[in-house]
Amino acid sequence: MSLLETSAVKVRFGGNIALNDVSISVEAGSVTALIGPNGAGKTTLFNTITGLQPLTSGHIVFNGKDVTKEPPHKRTRMGLARTFQRLELFTSLSVRDNVRVAGEIRNRWSFRTTNMDVNAETDRIISLVGLQGVADREVGEIPTGQARVVELARALMIQPTLLLLDEPASGQTEEETEAFGELLKSLAHNDGLGICLVEHDMALVMKVCETIHVLDFGTIIASGTAEQVRNDPAVIDAYLGSPESVG
Amino acid sequence: MQTFLQYTILGLAIGGSYFIAASGLVVTYTTSGIFNFAQGAIAMLAVFTYWQFRWGWNWPAPLALLMVLGVLAPLLGALLYQIVMKNLRGTSEVTKIIVPIGVMLGFQALATWIWNPTSSTPRQFQKFFGANAFVHFGDIKVSWHEIIAFVIAIVIAAGIRLLFVRTRSGVAMRAVVDDPELLQLNGGRPERLAMISWAGGSFLAALAGILIQPMIGSAMSAGQLTLLVIDAFAAAMFGRLRSLPRTFAGALVIGLTTTYVIAYFPSKWTWASSFRNSLPMIFLFIVLIVLPQDRLRGATVLRLRERFRMPSIRTAWIAGLVLMIVVFCLKVIMERTAVNTLTLALTFAIIALSLVLLTGFAGEINLAALSFGAIAVIVVYHFGTSGSGAEARTTLWGILLAAVVTALVGAVIALPALRLRGLYLALATMAFGVFVSRMVLTERNERDIFGLKFTIFTAGQLTIPKPKIGPFDFNSPDAFLFLCAGLFVVIGIGMVYLRHSGYGRRLAAMKDSPAASATLGMSVIRLKLSIFMMSAAIAGIGGVMMAAQIGTVNSDRFDILLSLSLMMITVVGGIGYISGALFAGIFLIAFVQMLDLTLKKFAVDYSSLEAIFMFFVSAVTVLPATIGITMGKNPSGAVSDIVEGLDQIKQSKPLMFTLIGLEAAIWALTATEVITNWHFVILTLINLLIVPVVGGKIVIARMMRGVPKPIPPELIGIDRPFTAEDLAEMDHALNLEGVVIPSAGTVREEASGVSA
Repeated sequence: MSLLETSAVKVRFGGNIALNDVSISVEAGSVTALIGPNGAGKTTLFNTITGLQPLTSGHIVFNGKDVTKEPPHKRTRMGLARTFQRLELFTSLSVRDNVRVAGEIRNRWSFRTTNMDVNAETDRIISLVGLQGVADREVGEIPTGQARVVELARALMIQPTLLLLDEPASGQTEEETEAFGELLKSLAHNDGLGICLVEHDMALVMKVCETIHVLDFGTIIASGTAEQVRNDPAVIDAYLGSPESVG
Repeated sequence: MQTFLQYTILGLAIGGSYFIAASGLVVTYTTSGIFNFAQGAIAMLAVFTYWQFRWGWNWPAPLALLMVLGVLAPLLGALLYQIVMKNLRGTSEVTKIIVPIGVMLGFQALATWIWNPTSSTPRQFQKFFGANAFVHFGDIKVSWHEIIAFVIAIVIAAGIRLLFVRTRSGVAMRAVVDDPELLQLNGGRPERLAMISWAGGSFLAALAGILIQPMIGSAMSAGQLTLLVIDAFAAAMFGRLRSLPRTFAGALVIGLTTTYVIAYFPSKWTWASSFRNSLPMIFLFIVLIVLPQDRLRGATVLRLRERFRMPSIRTAWIAGLVLMIVVFCLKVIMERTAVNTLTLALTFAIIALSLVLLTGFAGEINLAALSFGAIAVIVVYHFGTSGSGAEARTTLWGILLAAVVTALVGAVIALPALRLRGLYLALATMAFGVFVSRMVLTERNERDIFGLKFTIFTAGQLTIPKPKIGPFDFNSPDAFLFLCAGLFVVIGIGMVYLRHSGYGRRLAAMKDSPAASATLGMSVIRLKLSIFMMSAAIAGIGGVMMAAQIGTVNSDRFDILLSLSLMMITVVGGIGYISGALFAGIFLIAFVQMLDLTLKKFAVDYSSLEAIFMFFVSAVTVLPATIGITMGKNPSGAVSDIVEGLDQIKQSKPLMFTLIGLEAAIWALTATEVITNWHFVILTLINLLIVPVVGGKIVIARMMRGVPKPIPPELIGIDRPFTAEDLAEMDHALNLEGVVIPSAGTVREEASGVSA
């Protein structure tokens, strides 16, 4: 059984259908990508999975449990973490405190099971993602590329089993993206995390993702490996436009 | 039956007027995203202006109406938007709430200035077509005025609906609030539309005011009229600031229930009239509690213009020590009355600390700090004193009990806060504040509450003695001064510790991004409840100290407008800083009072210029609000400017020693009574303001000669030419190292030519 399954998820904003019968799955220990043109509904899908956006219909099953009706913080406590495309950092805190507070929040809700040493874990995560150089800077002062890494570090602090990353590589330099891709692979393959990634950097997607779902106008138009998706006529159509419309 | 119909018609007419005011709120909120707290004050100004034209100068009614509704009110709204509200884009929710409140307080002070409330003849306001213009339907008598009010309400409801749904500019208006930039891209002009809607909203407020004033039948009072239209907030909330039909229904329900209370409550229920006045606020509170939960939103603005830096714990201890020394030095040289003013200012600073904790640390809003103070004072008065006469003292247990009770009340007020944020929460606390003013502080009769007989607000005033804690008696003014200063320092340092704890970081997380906090697994309920209770308890303790300093307090001391002023000035000082609270207390109490006294003294000393000085005395009453209104331009507050200035002074030892040396000399001269207190204040101001500015310039000039300041990357090429290192760095960042593009070589040569 998959770590995360959405079945026939539908979201309607007034007369606009943002998501229409979207069913995808994310496996533990692998990296899945969610790609599609701007406005396809990728972030909306993330919002429904994390509980920030109520669904019109459909179900979301996480870890074998139907979480459709659960509030966001309850889903997180089951091991679901995410980052945001529009950065949602805690701007009054330093980089280190942004990461640390996530651990402190986690210790509040997991105190019965596994209490972590927040300071040690903060240091470990910060060096894992390579933020040592900016750890004591104000979070508003660092470049966007690094700010996205802070979001990742913060999400890792709650020790999730599923990680949703919304355009984590945008704003990063090529070197940063390279290292980032390796980090994702290692998290999935060595630590067994399920990772779902919304990303426009196709080089990164093709390199690290085992499965790719393509979303267009709120509908999944293709799912499969990089090779399958790359040659799918519907995908070519969505990205490049159909031959008729060009002519 | 006759009574019923009579009161139904009156209720419909009052409800109709509420609707007109509420629709103005909806229109301005829809198009500018700013809730116009000044709506009531605009209505009040319109009523006074109309009175001036119509009865002051005896203009005919149509001309006066045309002037007020057709010209002045829309003009005022448009100007308000252009000068004040436009600057609020990109500021935090708190600033968006505080600035309109500043406008409201400013108008209030302005009206009191122009139309002196203590003037001999009470200002009477007549219904349209006179007090005796009635229509008879069978045996019921309806005044033309009431009919007009209700008909206009219906016309306006239909008109606005048509405007929003059917016309192009109406649809554009609704688009403004959703996404002004997108609208601009599509050829709309959001700024102009918002300005027009503010003109319209102001017109509606003025109309509502003129209709409602004669129906309530009392003499005109600036404060009362302002708050009266605030009753319309409840109706606007019922429509969730969007739906006009629901707003209309809400307005009628409020209008009808309030009139039915007058008609049907037995006259022996002495609280009926207070209850009637509080009804709209009770209604508002209930509406806010049952409102469906807001969607969890992230930070609404990517990068707010506000920035607050938290001091380290060490800095906090040093600052606390410095404050105690300063207070001691001031005490030595100051006159008795000045010491009393300083003590009062410190008690207000303690109350303001509760606001810094709640708003600055946690992002929640409380507009009724003094109402919590009032509750604490009532508790202390009834249960917290020992001894009598000159021996009466407030006990430690009394103060603690008061803190516990206010914390519990705070928990109840936090109920809407658990689900709502920002504006809705601000309104809920304001409803509570007005409720306390109208229902609790007006209680003069003995009540039998659960078998406990007592009078809540005995004879309109309560006497609170100075506290005695264990063996320490704080009855003497000096001792009490140090108690208040010490209390401020202790609570302030405690707050810095709190902010540096895990709890404080979780508060910051909740404030900065509720969405991210939730996706990290945070449940905000306990956090919000605890911070509200803590804040309420601090406000309560501050309130008790304030009352103990004054001695005997009447209900005016806890007025909602005073709470609003305090909140506004704290935001002006810097809501994220402990020193912002100190600024608020000193400014609101000591500084304003000092200016007032100085100007009055000058008016007596130089009697030929009396008129000019008395003009400035009045101008001082408008001053705090004027400063509050400018918040849109400097949302981080005055303290952050001062902190930055101090940072510069710290860079230069000579400057710091000059400053301290001069100040010590001024103090010594005053202590030896060579110069007076007045000179001390003026010389200190000069020293603290002029020396850093002039000295700072020198320091900066010297620093500039040393190391050049780093230039932000986007200004390279503008502030200074590109250097070879810059280009190498850019190549590295863009991954272009070693790549030779034909034109790049020439560019590089030109660039190095410039730099050479």
